[in-house]
Amino acid sequence: MEWYYWLVFGSLTICLISLLVHFVRLVKLGKPKDYSKQTGNMNAAMKYAFTGSMSPTKKESAFLYLPTYTAGILYHLGTFLAIFLFFLISFHMQIHGWLQWVIVGFLLVSGLSGLGIFIKRLAKSELRGLSNPDDYISNILVTLFQIFTALVIFNPVFLPGYLIETSILLLYLPLGKLKHTIYFFAARYHLGYFFGWRGVWPPQ
Amino acid sequence: METLTKEKIEKGLAVLNDHHDSKLLTHLNSCVRCGLCAKTCIYYLTDPQEKNIPAKKVDIVSSIYKKYNTFTGKVAPGLVGARTLDEDTVVEMVDLLFGTCTVCGRCVSHCSVGVDISYVIKKGREMLAQMGYIPETLQSTVNAALVSGNNMSISNEDFVETLEWLNEDLQFEVDDNTATIPLNEKGKDLLYTLNPREPKFFPLSISAMAKVFYAAKESWTISTKMYDITNYAYYTNHNEEAKIIAQRLYDEMENMQAKKCILAECGHGSRAFRWEGPNYLQKEYHFDVMTSVELMAQYIREGRIKVDPEKVPQIVTLHDPCNLARTGGIWKEQRYILSKAVKNFVEMTPHGIDNYCCGGGGGQLAMSEYNDRRLKIADIKAEQIRKTGAVIVATPCHNCVDQLTQINITFKLNVQIKTIAEIVADAIVLESKSE
Repeated sequence: MEWYYWLVFGSLTICLISLLVHFVRLVKLGKPKDYSKQTGNMNAAMKYAFTGSMSPTKKESAFLYLPTYTAGILYHLGTFLAIFLFFLISFHMQIHGWLQWVIVGFLLVSGLSGLGIFIKRLAKSELRGLSNPDDYISNILVTLFQIFTALVIFNPVFLPGYLIETSILLLYLPLGKLKHTIYFFAARYHLGYFFGWRGVWPPQ
Repeated sequence: METLTKEKIEKGLAVLNDHHDSKLLTHLNSCVRCGLCAKTCIYYLTDPQEKNIPAKKVDIVSSIYKKYNTFTGKVAPGLVGARTLDEDTVVEMVDLLFGTCTVCGRCVSHCSVGVDISYVIKKGREMLAQMGYIPETLQSTVNAALVSGNNMSISNEDFVETLEWLNEDLQFEVDDNTATIPLNEKGKDLLYTLNPREPKFFPLSISAMAKVFYAAKESWTISTKMYDITNYAYYTNHNEEAKIIAQRLYDEMENMQAKKCILAECGHGSRAFRWEGPNYLQKEYHFDVMTSVELMAQYIREGRIKVDPEKVPQIVTLHDPCNLARTGGIWKEQRYILSKAVKNFVEMTPHGIDNYCCGGGGGQLAMSEYNDRRLKIADIKAEQIRKTGAVIVATPCHNCVDQLTQINITFKLNVQIKTIAEIVADAIVLESKSE
């Protein structure tokens, strides 16, 4: 096995262990204990927290910023696709024909979306002030991950570069804001708990 | 500013390590600084600049957390924007967390990730409380409650005198010499609380509720010892002081042996006692707690009181207090009441759990140093009201009444501001004595 495979599997192991540490810590700290009298339906609220409340029609962060929101959705879908493809590529599975072109096309669009978000962060003074290097590095690493995935599907000659970039991403992921991979779900859970307990969610 | 000592820093940082569950850890690690929360905030909408983006307020708290609690923050603070808790940081925290936020929570449900921004801001306030950097104006309101038993420092003598006068007023209003505002009567069904603004500035709202109770033939009482529903320590996030204030009302419920505690029309007070109180006290209440809005809706539903919408023919709109609707789940009841008690009801846009804060929340009304900002952000509410064409603005919160009254004057809206009880009292149909 080539050295860059060792590198990426080693990085993946470190990444997964680090994320597991975050996850275990969250689980150990446990769910809230609220002494007030519950008035809402927690199951319905939890369902709403992970579904309806994230609808673009419900969130101003979506419908007031449609281009950014759309870019963000595409960017995240591209990331999920690239993660899935990472495992296929790691196990030497190849994609041919029209599917290859569809995937490459989609990853280029999602990668460009990531780049667009990067440029927006850099260009808008308010966002620039709000940002720190982690915001830019995280974006660049994930965008490159998608672009490299497209390239390697297009031509295996890019494989060493792809696996090196992926390794850097995996090693960096638990250190900065990319760990919202884990915390996003916990945040939705806590929001569902808070609003559900008081009967605010789901709104009727 | 008082010197930031090592001891104070330790107290402040201890707040970020005080995990009761996974909520604090979650929300300190979740913000991705996308900035898409900006337009949900009335501060940003009326003054679009970086410091008014809700994420900026989360960032100042989470950046301190990173510095002292994360590997990256310790090793490479510049990489993740980790900040040292020093005097400059404290000054900025006070400005961002007290001076630029009403803790209305509107940004929370609109956050692209789901960060409980209000919760993080309140944690930051808690840090400042532990370090002794609460704005003096706000702290003085808490101190008044701690020392005198109510946040307006109304003496017991003055309070009783006011209620005696209101009792006479009630008898005249309902034309019944037996009508009464019962004081300190044990074993009644309801213990009714008040916002001290009522006896001090808006006594007619007490009369209005007394009229409702009279019409409903309710078994109720007011305690002259502890009637204050407000808890400004909820705003300062000095939880020990919040606990003392909540404990007093809890103790008075036990002392008066009432079955149910009725929370007057006060958004933060309702939240502080109903939702936060049991957590301050770390125990479940053995009595029921209900807002007066829910109670009035129940009276109408059950036919215990009759209201005639023809008695309130003007166009009425409704302002939802953030702590009652968005974080308290009470937004249908006031609409039910108004649907029965007024002839022309018009909603603001947006409304309900998505309503804009009036600008008086988060302790802003007590912090005179931020008056200019408070009235600037009120532009949003003024415009909302203007668009409805309403003559009366109803709101179930005395803090909101105060802010709306100032908005009315500042923006020349020429509307009347009323509580829900005042509307119901206007619309109520009393049984004739012969019946």
